[in-house]
Amino acid sequence: MKFAVKAWSNGKARTGFLQLGNCPAAIDTPALLLSTRKGLPHFISPDLLPSLPSPDSHLLQFSPLHFLEGPSSKTISNIGGLQHLLGLHEYGFAAVARDSVQSLPECDATNKFGASFETTCGRRLIRPVEYIEMISSMKPDIWASLADEVPSWVSDKRNKTSVDRTVKWLDECIALNSTGGAVFGAIVGGNDLEERQRCAVEVVKRNVSGYWIGGFGFGESMDERPSLLDAVTDVLPEEMPRMICGLGLPGIVFQSFGVEVV
Amino acid sequence: MALRFEILGRFNRARAAQLTLPHFTCQTPLFMPVGTQGTIKGLTTQQLEEIGCQIILGNTYHLALRPTSELIDELGGLHKFMNWPRAMLTDSGGFQMVSLLHLADITEKGVTFQSPVDGKPMLLTPEESIQIQNRIGADIIMALDDVVKTTITGPRIEEAMYRTLRWIDRCIAAHKRPHEQNLFGIVQGGLDPVLRDICVRGLVDRNLPGYAIGGLAGGEDKDSFWRVVAQCTASLPEDKPRYVMGVGYPLDIVVCSALGADMYDCVYPTRTARFGTALIPEGVLKLKHQAMADDTRPIDPTCDCMVCRNYSRAYIHCLVTKDAMGSQLLSFHNLYYMMKLSRDLHSSIVRGQFPEFVRKFLLRMFPHGDVPQWVCNAMEVAGIDISSCCAPMSSPLTSEICEVGFTKLSEIE
Repeated sequence: MKFAVKAWSNGKARTGFLQLGNCPAAIDTPALLLSTRKGLPHFISPDLLPSLPSPDSHLLQFSPLHFLEGPSSKTISNIGGLQHLLGLHEYGFAAVARDSVQSLPECDATNKFGASFETTCGRRLIRPVEYIEMISSMKPDIWASLADEVPSWVSDKRNKTSVDRTVKWLDECIALNSTGGAVFGAIVGGNDLEERQRCAVEVVKRNVSGYWIGGFGFGESMDERPSLLDAVTDVLPEEMPRMICGLGLPGIVFQSFGVEVV
Repeated sequence: MALRFEILGRFNRARAAQLTLPHFTCQTPLFMPVGTQGTIKGLTTQQLEEIGCQIILGNTYHLALRPTSELIDELGGLHKFMNWPRAMLTDSGGFQMVSLLHLADITEKGVTFQSPVDGKPMLLTPEESIQIQNRIGADIIMALDDVVKTTITGPRIEEAMYRTLRWIDRCIAAHKRPHEQNLFGIVQGGLDPVLRDICVRGLVDRNLPGYAIGGLAGGEDKDSFWRVVAQCTASLPEDKPRYVMGVGYPLDIVVCSALGADMYDCVYPTRTARFGTALIPEGVLKLKHQAMADDTRPIDPTCDCMVCRNYSRAYIHCLVTKDAMGSQLLSFHNLYYMMKLSRDLHSSIVRGQFPEFVRKFLLRMFPHGDVPQWVCNAMEVAGIDISSCCAPMSSPLTSEICEVGFTKLSEIE
């Protein structure tokens, strides 16, 4: 993965480009990730994908948890990773454990060992070691580390814990990682400015290729978001890409100045 | 008449032809996928063209209820409405009323049924069916016939056959666009050769652009099925297309083509796809089967379709019956298979290699030589020697020895 910033606005917004190994051309940022189900964009079969604008549509986000019911990591690995499994050789893939429909963080069941998700095959606790096993077999271009995402209404104590765990799991993910994909360090902290900043500062210290800003779309108000994002992006190094998910409607995306991949 | 039918090649009763319709020039034998409500479920019209579909079916009953034939007419006809540039066929609407509705009552006037909208009794007459189909604007429209279950016996069969003949005149009289749309008559008469013969002769007298063989593929035994097809194709005119309604199993299509039929339609390839079953030269492959979970091979290694070029059985297994994409990909593959079968039938007849094609087809589907007896009987009438495909001492056990996940078509008929 290659990333460079090309220009800044008067404020914090910036444009740049992202080059992923298999995409035919560099993708201009800010860029949209197409959401997928089991790796394919909803209802658009691979022969129809070229009818979408290129190269902008070549960035796909997927959840490794969609494959909990199979094929097994071993089978996916034998096939040669997600790109081969899906027959999408000129596309870039970004792995994020959660999505907004079929793999939802379940913070009450998350514990010190791993993050819990409500999935189509029931509630599942995913430990860093299992997450990395999935990542290693799927071989995405970019992957976000495992995060403990909590809704905005949890106690300060629980929110602090989520930051501690997310940072700890990042260390574990990096230590276990054996793939060539770019690691994006997960940043959480709910709607607490200090915790957001604390998490960002800790993640910046780690050896990562970019940042994944999580914990949005969990009950915080839209008015709170700009200051929370500011607190995070202020800390992040300028030359690295930033990815965010859970924002929802296009109008809301405009709030996210200073973030590359939505 | 708004079609031209030119026979390009023959083998005994089988024929390959070019059928020129207002919207497309088709090669027969051909299979027509069913797009009930103005869409083939899960596929775009662009994909259907890529797959090689030549004619698709629309169901008059569904289209008349929603969005209504008046609206389709106002928007320029069904071709424009669903963005399908090639040929189209609509049925009469009668079959759905009988098959979908419990309270359908057939009288001389027409088919009375309960409206699914408000429950009020409604009447579909032959005239009205044609008027609706004239508004929808398909290349081929079907006469309203009196449909009875094939498994029924007795005087009802005879009554239905004679009524179908009386109704065809009302359909012809009501048809307002004979130079743009082709009205096909439907041969009825159950499994009774005498009744079928009367019906064929009655319809042929009307000199219609094409003829359908109706009332089959409804649970009758296979020997009765092919005998009716053989009888009808033998007495229908050589220079008109023949359409066997409701036939969609690949084996049935091969047999009917050998007997001289040209066109087929069925929901089977797409419906079975939605239930997780793929059509392959060996029969069918059930993708839901646990054995598929870690199978890295394509559905059919000999298939060139987009799905087989890109996907493993393992990936399709994780999609089927859970994600819409599973239906989409399997429907694509199954229709590709049916179109390839149509093309192979056509080209093997044109090249004078039809018997070789039939033998190769049977050998792959029945590698142990257990070709069903009805197929052997039909092929004898078709004048195709398949003795090399049949095991001399076929034991009933051989059919059970097959790879995990494969099922013979005959088992699910």
